[in-house]
Amino acid sequence: MAYTEPAFKHSLKINDYLCQGCTTCMRSCPTGAIRIRNGKAHVNDNKCVDCGECMKVCPHKAIYIKQDDFALIENYRYRVCLVPTTFIGQFEQKYKTKAIYACLKRIGFTHIYEVEHEVEYIVELYNKYIDQHPEINTFISPYCPAVIRLIQVRFPSLVDNIIKVRAPSELAALIMSNRLIDEGASPESIGIFYVTPCAAKIAAVKYPVSHKDTRIAGVINMDFLYNKVKLMLRDSDNDAEPVNHSLSTKDVLWPLPGGEASLFNGSHYAVDGLQNVLNFLERLEDEAVDAQGLVEMRICDQGCVGGVLAINNRFVARKRLEDRARLFDDPSRNTSRYTRYNNPEFCKWIDEQMEIPEIKPRSIYKLDDDFQEAFKMAERMKKIEKALPGVNCSACGAPSCAALAEDIVRGDANINSCIFLNRHSPDSEEIIRSIWGDHVKTRKTDNEKNNQ
Amino acid sequence: MHYTFDIERGNFADAGQASSSVKRTLKQLGVAPANIRRAVVALFEAEINAVAHAYGGTIDVDIDGSKIVMVVADQGPGIPDLDAAMQEGWSTASAKVREMGYGAGMGLPNIKKNTDDLKIDTKVGVGTTVTMTIYLA
Ligand SMILES: Nc1ncnc2c1ncn2[C@@H]1O[C@H](COP(=O)(O)OP(=O)(O)OP(=O)(O)O)[C@@H](O)[C@H]1O
Ligand SMILES: [Mg+2]
Repeated sequence: MAYTEPAFKHSLKINDYLCQGCTTCMRSCPTGAIRIRNGKAHVNDNKCVDCGECMKVCPHKAIYIKQDDFALIENYRYRVCLVPTTFIGQFEQKYKTKAIYACLKRIGFTHIYEVEHEVEYIVELYNKYIDQHPEINTFISPYCPAVIRLIQVRFPSLVDNIIKVRAPSELAALIMSNRLIDEGASPESIGIFYVTPCAAKIAAVKYPVSHKDTRIAGVINMDFLYNKVKLMLRDSDNDAEPVNHSLSTKDVLWPLPGGEASLFNGSHYAVDGLQNVLNFLERLEDEAVDAQGLVEMRICDQGCVGGVLAINNRFVARKRLEDRARLFDDPSRNTSRYTRYNNPEFCKWIDEQMEIPEIKPRSIYKLDDDFQEAFKMAERMKKIEKALPGVNCSACGAPSCAALAEDIVRGDANINSCIFLNRHSPDSEEIIRSIWGDHVKTRKTDNEKNNQ
Repeated sequence: MHYTFDIERGNFADAGQASSSVKRTLKQLGVAPANIRRAVVALFEAEINAVAHAYGGTIDVDIDGSKIVMVVADQGPGIPDLDAAMQEGWSTASAKVREMGYGAGMGLPNIKKNTDDLKIDTKVGVGTTVTMTIYLA
């Protein structure tokens, strides 16, 4: 029997109306999750890691991320905007952070809470985990959810290197709801809405690898919120009520490359960008790099400001966030942590909540659970690959000849799909249409049109 | 299943292709990660030795239902004192090779550690053939 896992959900979707089946996304996908059928891109649930690469390269803007209905916030009396500092990095320096937050309040939020409030404690959790696992040399940060999922499907031997701690957004939601409950709010009256810079972080809230409950009530795409704020932002907003900055400069810089590493005292590495992450994991798996300590990994180039929903050019946003972060270096700032962090019982509870019990490997390579069967399939696959032209033209609807060979042995495609091999076959027109749909241009359709 | 690869002299950048390809197949077969790692590490070390100390050569990999046999053969200078070469830290690597980050004298001991069977046929002036076997099940 072929290897299957219960269908895994992802947040990237294809708009069939806009998709032209141009293969750009399919060729860029790091897990080979996309195929063209009937002239449209299709995403395989088990393979997609929501890295967002397809969406970044799509020339037709046909890939989108489903978000929660913004009107959902109306269901709550306490409406918390849980916002990563990536968001304030999108705005020009002339707008103060409090001006941006004033707009968020005008839109309907009652509280603004930065995700990075809790990163100091997250690093403490990393340290605890590292101390408890002397048998592990290289610890991979769990911060970027696309990295976790990439490891599960492409580098399953490295799942145990991931620090099993949930995301700072989950901790921030937990602490913020506790703060409000301390002030007398009832749990049902609190709605915490997380503003996401990418697809992976939505998926991590909706389909968490921890399989644990979340205090996040909904997720809002960063580009959507940016547009709302940008439209109403006025110079006069700079005179808004001051916000209680308890973040430090380093906290603010967390989403940028090196953001985790800079809060971490031990030996550390910082890797960002899809290709760099792939190369590093590949080398790590082969034990070809001897990386001791913490490896921070973000799938997006320039970290979270490179997220597919972050609006501005990532280099501009990085500079803006760095400039803004300096303003947080105010010695008089209120550095008070949530008071209950002083309570060991509470911390014990938090630590339990923040634990990821297990990260399961979900190899996309394995052909079958049975070795002998997998062996036969691999042999067949090698033969088929030899017979294919090796030009990786993608006309079969798969990203490469090797991918087609794999689809064939898995029973998901047919050798006839290779238009290269079948170019003289009387069925070649039929084959092309089955993959590319009726609208695709071929010489025959052109001739038919001309004859009409 | 049989695979053949050529190894080019002095081409450190391309070294590793054979081990990547072997890794992909072993992943398809669902071989235990520890065994995949052992095969990749051993093959990579042997390949690098052929690049660094000999004049290139060939790699032959055979995978069957129970084991993987990897043969790395070169027509290089051979190893005059194999017992010494098998010792940790023993190396004749040139300054250039050391600059590339190799030459700690750990390759052969590492191969020994990661394989179930290791056979090295070497003759000075003729060449070296390293045969490595890992049992998969
Ligand atoms: N294929 C070969 N041809 C000729 N000499 C070899 C070959 N392989 C190994 N040797 C000799 O054996 C020595 C020890 O090899 P070994 O792989 O253990 O260490 P190294 O290659 O020098 O360093 P490292 O592998 O740690 O980068 C080499 O320095 C070289 O003198
Ligand atoms: Mg060596």
